[in-house]
Amino acid sequence: MKEVLAWLLFFFILIALLVMIVFQLMCLADLEFDYINPYDSASRINQVVLPEFITQGVLCFLFLVTGHWFMSLLCVPYLYYNVRLYHRRQHLVDVTEIFNLLSWEKKERLFKLGYIILLLFMCLFWMIYNALEDDEHSF
Amino acid sequence: MGTENPNPRNYPLRPAATPFASQQSSTPFLSSGPVVGSEAPIFRPGPTAASNFQAPPFSGGPLVGTEAPAFRPPPSSRSNEVVRPPPPPSSGGPPISGFQSFPNPPMPMAGQVPPPHISLTARPGIAPPTRPPPPGPASIFSLPQPPLVSMGSPPQSLKTGQPNPNIPPPADQHFSAPRPSSQPSSPPPGTSYATGRGIYPGYATMQPNSVSQAPPMQPASFQLQQGGYGPPLQSASFPLQQGGYGPRAPPTSLLAQQRGYAPIPPISTPSGIYPGNQFQQHGIAPPVAAQQGLAEDFSSLSLGSIPGSFDAGLDITALPRPLDGDVEPKSFADMYQMNCNSRFLRLTTSGIPNSQSLASRWHLSIGAVVSPLAETPPGEEVPIVNFSTGIIRCRRCRTYVNPYVAFTDNGRKWRCNICSLLNDVPSDYFAQVDASGRRVDLDQRPELIKGSVEFIAPAEYMVRPPMPPLYFFLIDVSISAVKSGMLEVMAQTIRSCLDNLPGSTRTQIGFITYDSTIHFYNMKSSLPQPQMMVISDLDDVFVPLPDDLLVNLSESRSVVEAFLDSLPSMFQENMNVESAFGPALKAAFLVMSQLGGKLLIFQNTLPSLGAGRLKLRGDDIRIYGTDKEHTIRLPEDSFYKQMAADFTKYQIAVNVYAFSDKYTDIASLGTLAKYTGGQVYYYPNFQASIHKEKLKHELSRDLTRETAWEAVMRIRCGKGVRFTSYHGNFMLRSTDLLALPAVDCDKAYAAQLSLEETLLTTQTVYFQVALLYTSSSGERRIRVHTAAAPVVADLGEMYRLADTGAIISLFSRLAIEKTLSSKLEDARNAIQHRIVKALREYRNLYAVQHRLSGRMIYPESLKFLPLYGLALCKSLSLRGGYSDVQLDERSAAAYTMMALPVKSLLKLLYPNLVRVDEYLVKTEEFDTKKRLPLTVESLDTRGLYIFDDGFQFVVWFGKALSPDITKNLVGEDFATDFSKVSISQRDNNVSRKIIEILNQYRKSDPSYFQLCHLVRQGDQPREGFFLLTSLVEDQTGGANGYADWMLLLSRQVQQNA
Repeated sequence: MKEVLAWLLFFFILIALLVMIVFQLMCLADLEFDYINPYDSASRINQVVLPEFITQGVLCFLFLVTGHWFMSLLCVPYLYYNVRLYHRRQHLVDVTEIFNLLSWEKKERLFKLGYIILLLFMCLFWMIYNALEDDEHSF
Repeated sequence: MGTENPNPRNYPLRPAATPFASQQSSTPFLSSGPVVGSEAPIFRPGPTAASNFQAPPFSGGPLVGTEAPAFRPPPSSRSNEVVRPPPPPSSGGPPISGFQSFPNPPMPMAGQVPPPHISLTARPGIAPPTRPPPPGPASIFSLPQPPLVSMGSPPQSLKTGQPNPNIPPPADQHFSAPRPSSQPSSPPPGTSYATGRGIYPGYATMQPNSVSQAPPMQPASFQLQQGGYGPPLQSASFPLQQGGYGPRAPPTSLLAQQRGYAPIPPISTPSGIYPGNQFQQHGIAPPVAAQQGLAEDFSSLSLGSIPGSFDAGLDITALPRPLDGDVEPKSFADMYQMNCNSRFLRLTTSGIPNSQSLASRWHLSIGAVVSPLAETPPGEEVPIVNFSTGIIRCRRCRTYVNPYVAFTDNGRKWRCNICSLLNDVPSDYFAQVDASGRRVDLDQRPELIKGSVEFIAPAEYMVRPPMPPLYFFLIDVSISAVKSGMLEVMAQTIRSCLDNLPGSTRTQIGFITYDSTIHFYNMKSSLPQPQMMVISDLDDVFVPLPDDLLVNLSESRSVVEAFLDSLPSMFQENMNVESAFGPALKAAFLVMSQLGGKLLIFQNTLPSLGAGRLKLRGDDIRIYGTDKEHTIRLPEDSFYKQMAADFTKYQIAVNVYAFSDKYTDIASLGTLAKYTGGQVYYYPNFQASIHKEKLKHELSRDLTRETAWEAVMRIRCGKGVRFTSYHGNFMLRSTDLLALPAVDCDKAYAAQLSLEETLLTTQTVYFQVALLYTSSSGERRIRVHTAAAPVVADLGEMYRLADTGAIISLFSRLAIEKTLSSKLEDARNAIQHRIVKALREYRNLYAVQHRLSGRMIYPESLKFLPLYGLALCKSLSLRGGYSDVQLDERSAAAYTMMALPVKSLLKLLYPNLVRVDEYLVKTEEFDTKKRLPLTVESLDTRGLYIFDDGFQFVVWFGKALSPDITKNLVGEDFATDFSKVSISQRDNNVSRKIIEILNQYRKSDPSYFQLCHLVRQGDQPREGFFLLTSLVEDQTGGANGYADWMLLLSRQVQQNA
């Protein structure tokens, strides 16, 4: 039962990550189509960048402490990338250059999105797998 | 062989082979015939070009006589390989049908014969010469042999229409030359055909016909060409082809034919072709002035037999040099008379490629350099148009009405030239349209005849009432500012400009000074003296007064004057060395954010207190050459970017004046100017005694030049193309909207465009630059520049329409941007690679069949590109490494170059060097045009030279210069250190004259003031610093000299070529 709950927790964390990334992508798309100005877009995106990084770090850590080292390993590249960005102080969107970097920023986030979705599916799989196993045991 | 060139190229473009075959089988003669006829008028240029073409290859060879024979054989053999079987017979036929009537095509062979005769008669002279064998050609070749030959372009130039009549006599001779070669091939037509067959299976069927016809035809075909082409040249170059093709001479024609042939019915095809051709030409042709086209198509440079060896092969004096300054391409302006002047908009190439594949072969960036407010000479002012009821714009794409819109439906509708939507003409704008489609009121409508107009914008173009011109000064009063005399000069200058600030009675003005504290000044008009308020809390800056910090100049004039008068003395005793720049900047922002305007910052030291303080990160030699090298050219603190973004948002433009002799981190400070449409002025080691005039001039120009406020700019362009990136000092507000808090005539912006569709279907692409701004008089206006550019299908044409100035301007911006993300070296290499790629692509167009191995060829339009490229690599912002230029100077130069208009940039890259001593002692007229190449060899020890790059003068005294002149110029103490003396007006002729010259130069470009530096020959390091490093043609440091550079380029071009 514990196991299922743990996976459920991971699942929600992943959903949260997903939401944050989709939100950033939406801001970028809005910017591209001129629905919002670069100032708003940049400040909205920058608001969620750090939460995203932290959530992801926490997720990676939780995977590790709950003994899912494989999933944790899967998260490491993402984490490493984030940490590197942060160290170079490139994690925030630069409002003055946002249009020149638009395509790159979008690509980066789409890639992250794909990554998260992959994790999400694995998480779902393990959750259901565990739930079924629990079921079997309960009988 | 030269002629063949075209063919291979053209071939790939369109799948010619199959069409040919089909045509052949159906009715070879006819089809080809019509084509020829049609071609003749259209393609005339081709032939002439060819003739020119031939000369060059031979000229290279030392043994003309021997070469000639050798030359010949290859063609014939070539012909065999390449031969396309069908033509010979057809050739006979074609001429006739072409000239006479298309319907006839099916004519039998007999019919064909006559036509050749006709043509023959037309050119009686030709027949005999044909036979003469080798000797003839040899002599011919020897004729034209300048080492630097500009050759006509071969087939590619469809457009170069060269009418037959133009053919020069020499052409005939050429003609004869070709003959011989052709003949060998012709006699054994059978054989050639056989080979042809092998190659083109399709022909097999026809073969019988062709063969039988061939013998008689051959002569005929020749004739035809003459008749058709007129120009002999082609015959010379084409002999082979004729053997093969017979009918169609110029490669271009080949294209046409192929196209035409695809449909089998011969008759219909020719006619179809015809219009097609014309169409194309219509699109392309206009640019080409027939004669000019020939001369310009390409130029070549002999580099000696072995590239790399520097023997007599490369004649340094023959290298192209822009000694006439910037030469703008003329053909373009002539072609579209209603385009805006090139001072407003310049395209890197006026030929827009019609497909993405073509665009990808153009390595010089398709783009534009826009200078929307460029100064106009008297008499050419931009007309102002006031629509009483709304501005006429396209409903869909928002294009402004311009000379290229078409009025239809009897004047009730107009078709947008950019998106081709039909719009209604408002009733009060309605006017009848005459038979030719012109509005009857055209001459009263400047917007319909001029490429540049200014519309008065109604209220819907305002988000707030038009702002008044506003100048705000943020002045560093720390010890160095006082000591250097900057404060005094600045205060005096501002005071003297008060009368000339734009905006008359609306102008607002305000001041903040700062050292370790921030001083505000209450300038309320009722006060006798300004009131100073000091704020020392730097962490939480606030504005002590809600208003009166920013006052109306005319109301508070006396207070402002009192302030400026007392400013230098007020801080006379100031010993403060700190600089709370960041907090002061924030304070200025708070004061200005209500209105926007222009913020002038006078900064003397490194910001050391509060937000935005900068470290002495300095110029670290160890960082050069590493991956982190670029970081020193980037703003250190994100504070500056953030402030810049906020400034733009509130319509504040920042101009930075920096004066320090020590490191002040211009890279960070300049960011403020970069994103707000401003400008960086840098006076290293400012001393009032030396730099006073310069600061005075540049500051007063900054204050008094006509300025457009709270502006936005957008460039619209036709369907299928899109501007993808913008380069310059501004911030993007949306993907294609440039926010420019202040614009003036000294700013230019560059943009690159890309093709969105794989194939452009239109024949013309229109560009429209629209700048919406508030004029100093308080009117909201829209300045609109419209230009049209033809769509071309041919790379050669793009090269011909290229504009070196615009390309270099764009390159410089790209390179400077590259230095912000990678090493200097990489940026320089990128320029070099681009040039090499472009020249290689060009070489592939022309050189394969011409033995140009020892030569470098380049289009006439780009003849200065390599030199400017070299100069760019040696410019302050890109030159060398750590020790060559100080970091601050490098950054300042980079910011400046990002904003410079094309002409100023070219002058900066390749400055003027003139010798003046002779003029000074004699009485002759001074010729400012007599510029010298920028190399040490130009400097004579007995001479006196002036070097002018638009930013400074260097007056160079030769060692053996007559002492009289020196004495007259600098006085009795002429033996002293030149760094301490300056040229000033003295009471003698020589001095008066040189001052006059200098003033003349200054007047020609008033945007910057050229300070005069005196340099004596051999006076190191001064001479090296001021002059020798600026002689771009010489080898300096690790950089190449001009000749080496050309050899290097040439070698790289020929690798994998």
